[in-house]
Amino acid sequence: MRSTRSLPVVVAGVLLVSACGGGGESVDTGAGGGGGGGGGDTLVAAVSAQPDQFDPHVTTAYPSFQVLENVYDTLVVPNAEDLTMEPSLAESWETSGDGLTWTFTLRDGVTFHDGSEFDAADVVYSYNRIIDEELSNSFRFQNVADVTAPDPRTVVITLSQPTPNLLERIGSFKGMAILPENAADELDLTTEANGTGPFRLESSDASRTVLTAYEDHWGGAAGVGGVEFRYITEPAAALTALQSGEVQWTDNVPPQQIESLTGDDTVELQTTPSVDYWYLSMNYARPPFDDRDVRRAISFAIDREAVAEAAWFGAAQPNQTAIPEDSFFHTDYAPFQPDPDQARQLLEQAGVQTPLTMGLMVTDEFPETVTAAQVIASQLEPIGINVEIETLDFATWLDRQGQGDFDAFYLGWLGNLDPAAYYQEQHQTDGPNNYQGYSNPQVDQLLQQGATETDETARKQVYDQAAQLIVDDVSYLYLYNPDVVQAWAPGLSGYQIRADKAINFETVELP
Amino acid sequence: MSVIVFGLVQLVPGDPIRLALGTRFDQETYDALLARSGLGQPLVTQYFGWAGRALTGDLGVSFRSGETVTSLIAERLPATLTLAFASILVALLIAVPLGTLSALRPRSVVDRVATVLSQIGISVPEFWMAIVLILVFAGTLGWLPSGGYVPLTEDPGGWAQRLLLPAVVTGVVSGSVITRFVRSSVLEALGADHVRTAQAKGLPTRQIFAWHVLRNALLPLVTVTGVQLAYLLSGVVVVEIVFAWPGLGQLALQAVQSRDYPVLQGAILLFAVVFLLINLVVDLLYTAIDPRIRR
Repeated sequence: MRSTRSLPVVVAGVLLVSACGGGGESVDTGAGGGGGGGGGDTLVAAVSAQPDQFDPHVTTAYPSFQVLENVYDTLVVPNAEDLTMEPSLAESWETSGDGLTWTFTLRDGVTFHDGSEFDAADVVYSYNRIIDEELSNSFRFQNVADVTAPDPRTVVITLSQPTPNLLERIGSFKGMAILPENAADELDLTTEANGTGPFRLESSDASRTVLTAYEDHWGGAAGVGGVEFRYITEPAAALTALQSGEVQWTDNVPPQQIESLTGDDTVELQTTPSVDYWYLSMNYARPPFDDRDVRRAISFAIDREAVAEAAWFGAAQPNQTAIPEDSFFHTDYAPFQPDPDQARQLLEQAGVQTPLTMGLMVTDEFPETVTAAQVIASQLEPIGINVEIETLDFATWLDRQGQGDFDAFYLGWLGNLDPAAYYQEQHQTDGPNNYQGYSNPQVDQLLQQGATETDETARKQVYDQAAQLIVDDVSYLYLYNPDVVQAWAPGLSGYQIRADKAINFETVELP
Repeated sequence: MSVIVFGLVQLVPGDPIRLALGTRFDQETYDALLARSGLGQPLVTQYFGWAGRALTGDLGVSFRSGETVTSLIAERLPATLTLAFASILVALLIAVPLGTLSALRPRSVVDRVATVLSQIGISVPEFWMAIVLILVFAGTLGWLPSGGYVPLTEDPGGWAQRLLLPAVVTGVVSGSVITRFVRSSVLEALGADHVRTAQAKGLPTRQIFAWHVLRNALLPLVTVTGVQLAYLLSGVVVVEIVFAWPGLGQLALQAVQSRDYPVLQGAILLFAVVFLLINLVVDLLYTAIDPRIRR
């Protein structure tokens, strides 16, 4: 799964073959509650790109996490159904009355792939590594004052302020993986791994990454003997490989073929709305986009359904708020129906001279944004807004976003699990990802309240209020949630498609 | 040359650190990464550091993967060499017979068909040709794998099967270019004075052709083949991507996209050296083919 907040950069690096920390050849899988005892068969999965590296605390690339998901564990993990947090390496936890002390009881009998025992010192080491080295996920610990291990089975996290979403912060993806103590000194973590997950990292080169089942995995041995991730960038080639039986699983399905594949009995295709959202945002520092009426006019002029259809061939669900319906924090609010007349009226009210020119920055890193921008341009033209589409490569795009050099831009946020993270960073005054420059004291106050409210129902109400203001003010013009689309060989069992796009092969069994 | 390589790469807009962080921005993490990468130093310092190490064969470490650039290149070199030489072989197998035949019978049916074929070969997008071949041979017929690469030493059969389609695609494109050169140089040689003299002397046609025509037509052929080979060795990005072929083209593309300066510099430097080497080899071949050049 992709790092919660970073839009991944499509993979860049390469990994050299390297066996992972050997050893640990013990037997006895009898007690395993999991799959069928790891037959000799290997599942071949076609993924679209090569992992850049395998250090879970350093990488931000989705292809790396596709692999790491199967190699490492976190204290808690998102449940496959509704993405609420459930036990993993931590068996249970307690929160003190003031919400400042969280005590985790760790699972017994967990071993790393080299055979060494997992204990609380490993957790303390892993978290401190992220904090002390200011690695890309250190922001997740910004409220954490201290991580200690009073005994080998207990970890205590002390906070500087109540953090109701702490579990999401430490468990939403394998970027928060638990490494064995001193792993960074003993291994080259960019190419080697020593985790507690169902598979060990065997080798990786410019064509494939190979995992083998870890027989002593605490959840029982995996249902397959191993997994080979093969990098096939071109979707048509990946689909051909699946249909001809060269691979048994892929997430690289050409979106325009989803419809025709649905009734096809040579592949099993499944989709589910993701917790990713794509949005358009305008620059509050550039008139006339600082005018709420102008932004609302644009929101009224856009037909989200048509944009989703063009960008994803219908494999996306239009949404006027951030996350999809089946998520706990979904806000049911849709005040903007396509209405060009109202849009024109709002522009007039704002005193805007039409035609008005608006630059819209998109990136070819995500080609669907380019298509969507063309649809948006055609929808805004009738109300007198001339959209100049600027297609940039991602590095330049990010630079200009950072410098505030844009009228409007179009992008997405992936893997959004908890509103404390995404609303606060994107919409709070001077929030780290508030590139548009939105500032509404009322929203700020609600977001502050939500960040410390420990009662879930009350929290949800607070965020619902904030979300409505954000939508009304058009801080983000939310557009849609794309579907997760994955396909596999008929007869492959035990695989579950997930809204957070985590790919876990632990329970998969081959036909 | 190294200054140009270094400068060109630095001129590419976009900040690699920001890119590595994605859209999420956090000043402390940014500063930590900047310090670690050495990108905060003055450009001149960076250049001399890089050039000095490059002289000793150390091209630095990739920002993205933490691997050394030399190992990244070495890992992909065999795939690129394999595809480049296989493609040139396919190209020559197409170009030499086709070009010669059309030159021997100018404006004949053979010539016209060859001209049309080579025109098609040049103008059909590689991407499209590759996809069609995959759909037909890997999909419908199921004779060949859809792509990928295995080393020759591991599985010779699989190696050949996987090499065939990409080599045909790049070979057809290069072959189409070379065909036209072969045709024109054979035609030119055929019309040369010494060939007329040889014919007047009553030499057998076969001997005239082998000794007086082909040998003279060989010079342009060697030149254009050299250029094509250099192009193929610097990686054929589109074909590599469609066939999941782990060559240098993909590496360079990924390095551009992520602004992985060390990898990009290393790759460009390698391409420049390859170009120089091939030019040298071509020049040496000239002297072997044409004794007049030796003087």
